[in-house]
Amino acid sequence: MVPNTDLALEMRGVTAGYQDKVVLHAVSWQVPRGTLAAVIGPNGGGKSTLLKTAVGLLKPFSFQTLSLLGQSPQEGRKRAAYLPQREEVDWGFPITVLEVVLQGRLVRKGWRGRLRREDYAKSREALEFFGIAGLEKAQIGALSGGQRQRVFLARAVVQEADLILLDEPAAGLDAQAQHELADLFVALRRAGKTIIAATHDLDCLTECFDQVLALNGQVLAAGEPGHVLTEETLVRLFARHFPKVGAGGEVIVHEP
Amino acid sequence: MNLELVFEPLQYSFMVRAFLGVSLVAVIAAIIGTFVVLKGLAFLGDAIAHTAFTGIAVGLLLGISIHLSAFSFALLTALGVVFLTRISQVRNDTALAILFTGVFALGIVLLSTSPGFVGDLNSLLLGSVLAIQAGDIAVIASFALLLLLVLAVFFPQFVLVSFDPVGAEAAGFPVVVFQSLLLILTAAAIVISIQAVGVVLVVALLITPAATAGLLTKRLKAQMVISGVFGLVSSLLGLYISYFFGAPPGATVVLVATLLFAVVLVVQKLRRPGGKAC
Repeated sequence: MVPNTDLALEMRGVTAGYQDKVVLHAVSWQVPRGTLAAVIGPNGGGKSTLLKTAVGLLKPFSFQTLSLLGQSPQEGRKRAAYLPQREEVDWGFPITVLEVVLQGRLVRKGWRGRLRREDYAKSREALEFFGIAGLEKAQIGALSGGQRQRVFLARAVVQEADLILLDEPAAGLDAQAQHELADLFVALRRAGKTIIAATHDLDCLTECFDQVLALNGQVLAAGEPGHVLTEETLVRLFARHFPKVGAGGEVIVHEP
Repeated sequence: MNLELVFEPLQYSFMVRAFLGVSLVAVIAAIIGTFVVLKGLAFLGDAIAHTAFTGIAVGLLLGISIHLSAFSFALLTALGVVFLTRISQVRNDTALAILFTGVFALGIVLLSTSPGFVGDLNSLLLGSVLAIQAGDIAVIASFALLLLLVLAVFFPQFVLVSFDPVGAEAAGFPVVVFQSLLLILTAAAIVISIQAVGVVLVVALLITPAATAGLLTKRLKAQMVISGVFGLVSSLLGLYISYFFGAPPGATVVLVATLLFAVVLVVQKLRRPGGKAC
């Protein structure tokens, strides 16, 4: 099948997991370019597995179609940026904010890349855009959760990534920081970027996301938030987890 | 300090060679060791040292270059571990421990059952600083230059694959190439350091100065420079102590490095009570 170049991510019948354990069961999902897409679901529901498979960190067991920005994951990911869960980053590493952002330029240039004056300029510009220009000399671990997200988004921008995938970007952020993050997503969409975020946070989904995938090992529902975030879907999705926040912001208490 | 005491050991050419050789390897190991400490790979460093020992044993028995055979064994260990962690997705400490102690035991058996090589066993385990020849210094110095060159040229790449290997790989960056290169440099640093301090203590040259420097700074380049200085000071002081007290030089060098770590740690605790070390 010819990959559709209008799609940032195209999955058909993707089955993936670790060793003998299947986590994703024949998952199909399409994310058009220039949209904000969210993957929601319980822990172990395959959100991270889906992101890792999309960027080629994990080889699927089988698939009919798997393409990233119209190419194979191995090729398409050169125009993609992946932000791992915050527990997976070594925040104690002796590296400054500016140095982290510069890594985006290095990734863009490839293994023989040299950092030049214009790379510093671009990185500082990105720090400015994300409102953290004053922090460029700070050690990355000294920043708040929201600031760290901004640093990594700035890195994705200077990497010139068309698609940014984030694993639980809202985790550990207070309400204020979460709303600021949502505003940044909208700004990035305006700049033509596609965002795919795996998230627990259902709060702002209806407001800012265009596409939602409800994933519980398999696809329960996919499409626009209004269509996906129904009480029925959420109850099935989080069957063993309560209370949960419903589509209208109300708390659903579901007794299994 | 009495200047005569400072210059006394330097009238012996073997001591001059020892000072040159040991300070070179100590500085190099301390610099590359910064990455080893940051990535928590001390155990791997120890494993590389022990398999390199067997490489030396095989080299001696076959009459080929011991640097080359030691480096081959060290490289196999390092790259084998990269391969293992990639296919199993976990850090497999148990498998590594079984493998490297097994290979190390083989080296001991090989050397101790071969007449004429038993004397080498001791010097390999504890180091033989005073037997460093001019040729060894040339090997060490050329390697030191090469290592600094590779490190300088690819420094941003090494930082990238150390700080965020997952994000870098997810964007198509050849992470495994630079991780392997870093391990190759580490393996080579270990191999050239074995003569100075011996198999058992070599990991200290990698880890201790870098960890001490890590207490003092949160800047990577500064940590590497300070680590190198601690490596240098440890080797010079250690050799003097060894000379005047007749203790094995490898052990005194490592002892000084350990004491420096302890002093910095204590001073820091006193100045910032309750602060978290490293």
